[in-house]
Amino acid sequence: MKRAHRTHRFARPGALIPRRCARVALVAVVSLGALAGARAATAQAPSHSRSPSPEDSAQAIHLLNRATFGARPADIAAVLSEGRIAWLERQLQPDRIQDTAVTAIERRYPYTSVTPQELYRVLEPADGSKGPSPQTVLIQLASARLVRSAASERQLEQMMTDFWFNHFNVFFQKGADRYLVADYERSAIRPHVFGRFEDMLRATARHPAMLFYLDNWRSVHVDSGARRPLAQAQPKRMAAGLNENYARELMELHTLGVDGGYTQRDVVDVARAFTGWSFGPLNAKARSDDAGEFVFRAQLHDRGAKEVLGKELASGRGMEDGDDVLRLLAAHPATAHHIATKLVEYFVSDTPDPALADRLAAVFTKTGGDLRLVTRALFTDSAFYRAEHRRNKVKTPFHLVASTLRMTDAQFVDGRGAMQVLRAMGHVPYMSSDPTGYPATSEDWVNSGAMLARMNYGIDLASGKIAGIRPRSPESREAASATANLDGLTRALLPGVNTDALKRAVIADASSSANVALAPRQRAARAVGLVIGSPEFQRH
Amino acid sequence: MNGINRRAFVRNGSLALLALGIPPAFLRTPLLAETAGRAAARKKTLICIFQRGAVDGLSMVVPHGEAAYYASRRSIAVRRPGGAGGAIDLDGFFGLHPSLRPLHDLYGRKEMSIIHAVGSPSATRSHFDAQDYMESGTPDAKSTRDGWLNRVLTNTSCCGRTLADGSAHAADHAVGQITVGGVAALRGIALGAELPRSLRGAHPALAIADLQKFGVGGGGDSALEETFQRVYRTETNDAVEGAAGDAFEAIRILKAANPLQYAPAAGVSYPGSAFGRSLRQIAQLIKSGVGVEVAFADVGGWDTHQAQGGAEGQLARRLDDLARGIRALYDDLGDRMEDVVLITMSEFGRTVRENGSGGTDHGHANCMMVMGGGVSGGRILGDWPGLEPEQLYDGRDLALTTDFRDVFAEVSSRHLGTADLAKVFPGYKVDTKRFRGFMG
Repeated sequence: MKRAHRTHRFARPGALIPRRCARVALVAVVSLGALAGARAATAQAPSHSRSPSPEDSAQAIHLLNRATFGARPADIAAVLSEGRIAWLERQLQPDRIQDTAVTAIERRYPYTSVTPQELYRVLEPADGSKGPSPQTVLIQLASARLVRSAASERQLEQMMTDFWFNHFNVFFQKGADRYLVADYERSAIRPHVFGRFEDMLRATARHPAMLFYLDNWRSVHVDSGARRPLAQAQPKRMAAGLNENYARELMELHTLGVDGGYTQRDVVDVARAFTGWSFGPLNAKARSDDAGEFVFRAQLHDRGAKEVLGKELASGRGMEDGDDVLRLLAAHPATAHHIATKLVEYFVSDTPDPALADRLAAVFTKTGGDLRLVTRALFTDSAFYRAEHRRNKVKTPFHLVASTLRMTDAQFVDGRGAMQVLRAMGHVPYMSSDPTGYPATSEDWVNSGAMLARMNYGIDLASGKIAGIRPRSPESREAASATANLDGLTRALLPGVNTDALKRAVIADASSSANVALAPRQRAARAVGLVIGSPEFQRH
Repeated sequence: MNGINRRAFVRNGSLALLALGIPPAFLRTPLLAETAGRAAARKKTLICIFQRGAVDGLSMVVPHGEAAYYASRRSIAVRRPGGAGGAIDLDGFFGLHPSLRPLHDLYGRKEMSIIHAVGSPSATRSHFDAQDYMESGTPDAKSTRDGWLNRVLTNTSCCGRTLADGSAHAADHAVGQITVGGVAALRGIALGAELPRSLRGAHPALAIADLQKFGVGGGGDSALEETFQRVYRTETNDAVEGAAGDAFEAIRILKAANPLQYAPAAGVSYPGSAFGRSLRQIAQLIKSGVGVEVAFADVGGWDTHQAQGGAEGQLARRLDDLARGIRALYDDLGDRMEDVVLITMSEFGRTVRENGSGGTDHGHANCMMVMGGGVSGGRILGDWPGLEPEQLYDGRDLALTTDFRDVFAEVSSRHLGTADLAKVFPGYKVDTKRFRGFMG
């Protein structure tokens, strides 16, 4: 499969070239409104003719810090121009936002859009020749995720994809999941991030990536007499029987939460309810219509009566056992509370405000788990905007890398260097082996080695030392007065932050005896690196 | 040799301080005084070698007294001792793979013991799950967030104190109140780009890919480092600034101690492999007296599903690298090995029977080697379950008779002095009666 050698250029933030700022802002406004009417209204009737109040600006920046992978000057201008609510409403309808960046990504990283069986045939050629390595696939998928997070106009959808993928985590490296993960994100996660929770839950429950990852495909009725389920890549000599892995994580992680009030007996009966939920094998020898598709194998299903959370499931039934369990769990109050608390932890604070979580849980319950309405409630709640919640989250390594790509003018040529950076920081997309997914709180990401890695990342990125990422080379004219442009740089990368001390340190660095002889371009790169490596840039 | 090197450090260390213009605050920390007087309160170090990919323990330490071993392995068995390419006999029943010859006289000097049929009780045969379980120290519990070595650091007294609270202790270190030549982050060091799961957690720990380049901007740009230090002295001063401060402290200590000045001892030559480089740097860190208590290095290439080989071949070459590296470190550290224990581990063993490709597949129990001046050596420990078909786990693998946590618990309590083993191995009842006794 050929790789297109095109590069992706991120919108310039106007960091060192203020003149470009205006153009970027215009482009952003034009492409944001897919409907002609909306575009006209946005372009012609800005809601403010006067400059916004400091509090308006601060709230716009806070919204962008949490709902996007980086508040660029143009983004802030857009939110201030149309208002936070209007901006949010548009982000909640991503299908109506034109997104040329994403179309380009799908062309550039074809492994993100092929079916599992196509991917299987690419990796395991039928003629026995050696296909590309799984690593090649992983780099494509992770690069696509990174570029999409940085460049997509549908920013809130990207944030939500990060959140929900982690919530329903699967692991690329576990056996057949390397063929399945791309389709999983595309068909089970993304379409549902603003849909009904129960639909996403069901899509994940039926998806081969999850069925394989949490072993449900080989969970069979103990007395069914089946030696082992029919599916590809099965470990040798694995005893056939009930496997509780999916049932346990379904309740502990996906729905009720660890204190959600279920018992070991519930785990067993939920596992029994899902016996027979499997998928068609991908390997060429057993090619069939159901390859890589959900299959219910009635003969492996436990047809006995079950009791889940006090509700009886009558004997003699089939797939409806699992469907009923999903319905029951999706509608359970503990699920609403668990999801609400996780959303608050991810988007508001490492120590979630219980009152805010309760309000979101109420919206979840009242709307039957309508995630668009729950998300809207989150970003419109006054508690979200409280001063103590602003810039109190530490970016995850993935967020750090995505935000630097978004906010600086780097060209993403390929994913080699970015993967190394993410691997060193322990945050390669699709590579969390743990069903909990990657953590969202700072205690898991902040330690002495990690902080050094972040500082070095800033310096390496700005000085062009990361393979596959080209920093913008500042024209010498601007670079010559890098410190004069420092105001512009810090405003662009750290909007709304008091950066006086940071700027003083950068200026002192530039004028230190070791650095006075640096070429203007190097001095400018160093300034960018220091800002990216600063503690201020680690927060959002 | 021990004393000579220490004096050399004090002298060179002082010079380094003057030459680098270390800030006055650093001189107030008792690094030099403590280091000079360290003979009385010497720091113990544990070196963990993780053989990632599941080494074939039945080739490392060969049960040459088992007929079933030879019946199951037609092409890859290591021959009985005596002839060319035969195992090196240890006790008439077990023998070392010929590539492990560099380690043989450590066994003879009673400084090395072997625990056989040891491993994780988890039934998983997934590398990822099994490594995760061994490193978290909690088999079959996926929700454990920190690693066992990190919990060892938190629950092992440092500087004469018992640590109830890792972060309070880290704060003590960060302000330089307590130090035996080091900061909290230098207590746990991994050689490599990433901090391994074993060392992740609340206690500071550092991954060092290359001592030469350790620091900010590749280590050679002190202006950049100073600027970043200034940038991280903010009024917010929470976890982000605290962790960075700890890193800067580690950089300063390392710069002053300058571990790179320690060339290998006369006659010692490390393999040129990545593993050899890791071990050489671990030796340099230990010699420089920066207070490393846990050092961790990976060595890979053990997943021998095909063409594993016997006395020669793929696995033999990996074992050669392993043994020559460990022996170089052992000789390089010399008398310092009195305070050092080195232990090897791997996520699970491999099938007793060789497969159709001249290799072995994922199995169950395995063997570990443990060595050092304080080790009660020259013994093969554990109960041998046998290799007859009915003695195998799942009918195919070496059965387990020692839980790896009992080995980890013994080495951390008896060597490092870890106080609270229940906190290191949550959910496991550590019982000293199950200790195999390699620490005496």
